[in-house]
Amino acid sequence: MTHRKNLLKAALLFNLLIFLAAAWIQAADKNSQPVHVTIGTILAGNQNDEFDARLKGMEKQLKVMKYRSYRWLKEESQDVAWGGNGVFEIPGGRSLSVAPQEIRNNRIALKVRLTEGQKPIIDTTVRIPNKGNFILGGPPHEGGALVLSISASAQ
Amino acid sequence: MKHCDDIREFLGAWLDGELDPSEAEAVRLHVADCPACAEERRQLEKLQVAMKSVFSTEGERIAFEPFWHGVRSRIERNRPWHAELIEWLRSALEAPRLVWAVPAMIVVLIVALSLNSIWPSLKWWGQRNNYVAVESIDAHGRNVALLREDDTKTTVIWLYQNPEGENDTSEEPAQSGPTF
Amino acid sequence: MEPSDLELVQRCQSGDMTAFEELVSRYHQKVYLVIVGLLRNRDDALEVAQETFLRAYRKIGSFQGGSSFYTWLYRIAVNIAIDSRRRQKRSPLDFRESMDGVLEEQDEVAKDPFADVHDKELREKLIAAINDLTPEHKAVIVLRTIEGLSYKDIGEILGCSEGTVMSRLHYARKKLQDKLRAFL
Repeated sequence: MTHRKNLLKAALLFNLLIFLAAAWIQAADKNSQPVHVTIGTILAGNQNDEFDARLKGMEKQLKVMKYRSYRWLKEESQDVAWGGNGVFEIPGGRSLSVAPQEIRNNRIALKVRLTEGQKPIIDTTVRIPNKGNFILGGPPHEGGALVLSISASAQ
Repeated sequence: MKHCDDIREFLGAWLDGELDPSEAEAVRLHVADCPACAEERRQLEKLQVAMKSVFSTEGERIAFEPFWHGVRSRIERNRPWHAELIEWLRSALEAPRLVWAVPAMIVVLIVALSLNSIWPSLKWWGQRNNYVAVESIDAHGRNVALLREDDTKTTVIWLYQNPEGENDTSEEPAQSGPTF
Repeated sequence: MEPSDLELVQRCQSGDMTAFEELVSRYHQKVYLVIVGLLRNRDDALEVAQETFLRAYRKIGSFQGGSSFYTWLYRIAVNIAIDSRRRQKRSPLDFRESMDGVLEEQDEVAKDPFADVHDKELREKLIAAINDLTPEHKAVIVLRTIEGLSYKDIGEILGCSEGTVMSRLHYARKKLQDKLRAFL
């Protein structure tokens, strides 16, 4: 074991300590950054048995709905300020608005509204883990049903 | 085995050399005497030649080194995380071992204390431990179901199509909504 | 003297990666050919072929030598390819489009100009007809046509009897014949 190798390893460990300290400091300041909201739009149906390979990471979550097929339609992300409102276009003339309210114990409160044209379909307030998600589904589309994965991350 | 239909069932196996000698001889004698079965044989052989040609078109040689590199990468990528960690620790803590014991302990302690506030959940778009508290729902007259999936603790809010109070006279199949 | 497959497997089971590399070197081409015959797409076939060897590596500890190594390996390859084929979204038309360039590049010496066109049409129709076979029927056709494997070996690979192999081959060939009778 050479002296240089020892120094390199010491440097790596020291850098790791610095990184962890910086991450800890940053974690305490996340309220000033907007919330990164991501909406994944999926079409569930029973016309065939296809499972879109792009949804592989969500298989367990989706299979609970017991549809035979799942197809990824689109994904959209926005940075939404606390107290602000992010509006996402959903197929079928619908729109989803997500308003982050606050963060407490690393759980983000979101006010979510789904509308069809001007008509509200559902209003809900949820508290999700930071970087977590929940599923909102059911609006009919193309012979199947839309499944929306709503996730939020406070920076 | 004299009838043409019987023979034709065994023609392919005969051409493949998979019949036992007595069956093979019976087929050979019949085909020699039956123009229809002889024609069937000719077609089968032509089909076989065409199939070999089709398959050989795609079968260009693949270079071994890049292929092996790909296999090797998959093996490395799929190595269990604890095997990777052990190997890393082993190389990082090689003699003089005691020199690294103290900073290693400090690192482990800081990671353990930091994990909850820095990295509370693992993935951005996918499965995670994920309980969601639903504080309020207003489905504006529609039926709604609230479901939790145990494995990933995912919460599903499901809207049914027909608003409450309406007669459902439609013949929607059972598959129109999810069966949880 | 070259080590046998079984010797290489035993060395691999003891953790010798070079032994596994030698096995890959011996069979990667054959495995790839079989899979490309099943999937009709080179890129997918390459992925599946590499995945086959990854699975073989993971499961090498369970290989007891009851069957030959290559039938054990082909079984893994065929299972992955059939699963992949079932999930595949590509239509036969996509495959034909990707094959068009290949067919045009071929140096086909035609004895008469119409034979060239006729053969080309037969190949195109044959490709489409093969794609219409179920994965299980396609598997027997591929294993027999490309690898020339015996019914016994094919049965071991697919986990069925020789009789089933024979009847699947008969059915598959009959289907292809019926669709291509005008060209045969």
